[in-house]
Amino acid sequence: MATEEKKKELLEKLRNAVIQYDEDTAKEAANEALSTGIDANDAIFNGLVSGMVEVGRMFEAQEYFVPELLMCADALYAGLDILKPHVKQLDLGVKGSVVIGTVEGDVHDIGKNIVKMMFDVAGFTVYDLGRDVPLDKFVQEQLRTDSDLVCLSAMMTTTMTGMKKVIDDLRTRNPNVKIMIGGAPVSQDVANKYGADGYAKDATNALKDAINMISSLKKMKDEAEARKAK
Amino acid sequence: MKRSLKKELLDHGAAVVGFAGLRGFLSGEIAHLETAVSIGVDRRLNEDTLSLLMKLQKRAVRFLKSRGYRTLAIPPDSDRKKGTFISKLYSLFNHKMAATSAGLGWIGKNGLLISAEYGPRLSLVTVLTDAPLEPDTPIEHSLCGDCTLCMQYCPSQAITGSEWSRSSPFAELVNTGACRSHKAAKRATDRKPNCGLCINICPYGRPIEAQESVKHERKQASDKTHGV
Repeated sequence: MATEEKKKELLEKLRNAVIQYDEDTAKEAANEALSTGIDANDAIFNGLVSGMVEVGRMFEAQEYFVPELLMCADALYAGLDILKPHVKQLDLGVKGSVVIGTVEGDVHDIGKNIVKMMFDVAGFTVYDLGRDVPLDKFVQEQLRTDSDLVCLSAMMTTTMTGMKKVIDDLRTRNPNVKIMIGGAPVSQDVANKYGADGYAKDATNALKDAINMISSLKKMKDEAEARKAK
Repeated sequence: MKRSLKKELLDHGAAVVGFAGLRGFLSGEIAHLETAVSIGVDRRLNEDTLSLLMKLQKRAVRFLKSRGYRTLAIPPDSDRKKGTFISKLYSLFNHKMAATSAGLGWIGKNGLLISAEYGPRLSLVTVLTDAPLEPDTPIEHSLCGDCTLCMQYCPSQAITGSEWSRSSPFAELVNTGACRSHKAAKRATDRKPNCGLCINICPYGRPIEAQESVKHERKQASDKTHGV
């Protein structure tokens, strides 16, 4: 079993590999963590993800720009690919499934991919529809997979309007599903106007919101079942 | 710093190293990394050009990062891992543009980087950085002159014969569609994807023994075009 000191050192190494966008070090540290017997969960959340949270902060503070952010995400995935098969059980309190995609007419999927990464890391089941997704597809996929959450992304004001249609369709077909939207032209106002449950300014917030929404959804379901049981 | 980075790369197998100041040439996402370290490797020397390029690139990244600068390594065109996040940004950038800006060569009629010493036989990688490295003098005009060997030897007549200059970067030098369909046809028949005649024929940077035959070929080629 790893000593506390060694463990701390390796978690720090994982964290720094992400911050320094160093894929090779991320892989190396992930392998070391496994061979010294550090719990994979621990390595992911207190190493890799903690690094990504710092990267998010640096991005917001404009210390990092888009290329650095993307390379950090690549470094995180490099480590994650090694650690993930060894995760015994992810325990975040909630597990959810999510349908995610960039709406029809829009091919800008960098932001969507980063949000997807956060869901991946947190152990969600992710159904990624990709980019330029026909609006009907979101509804079909949600019904097929019975996902808790649908995430829509758009980069342009012209394609953003497609979100409204998807939201309306989803609401009529399945009033219980939670919908979150994001992307450059989207704001809280737009989310309110379109009737979305949430708006995520960035990937970290997207994950936080998603966890909250799914918890409330699960709670609603449990309460409903409890009532039925009575 | 510039000198020691250049020396380190040359010592480890780079054929040429140049520095380009790219302020105003880059699109928004990468505009803060306005200096390019352009690294060329002589394709003849080494069977495994690609791994040498990657090694040099990592060396340059380590060098700059350890001094506290940002870097963005653009891998060789032939080795772009799909599916990574950063690969979405690679298309914003052109190795040859960096190389001409760094004074390593010009763009020949065959659309390739031509170095006076190595001809079109360099493979390129670039590392973008915000380190204050003094840029080298760009090359502004093509030095191909009257030579049209690549144009005459191109089996798909893809080379238009236009002359490159740094001020008209969008002039069509090569009809890429014609070149690509020729390569596809070739791949189907002999399973070798690359044609490479426009590289082999270029008189710049040819091996000495081949230099002898250049004059002969040139004569033959001009006879061919003049219908003798």
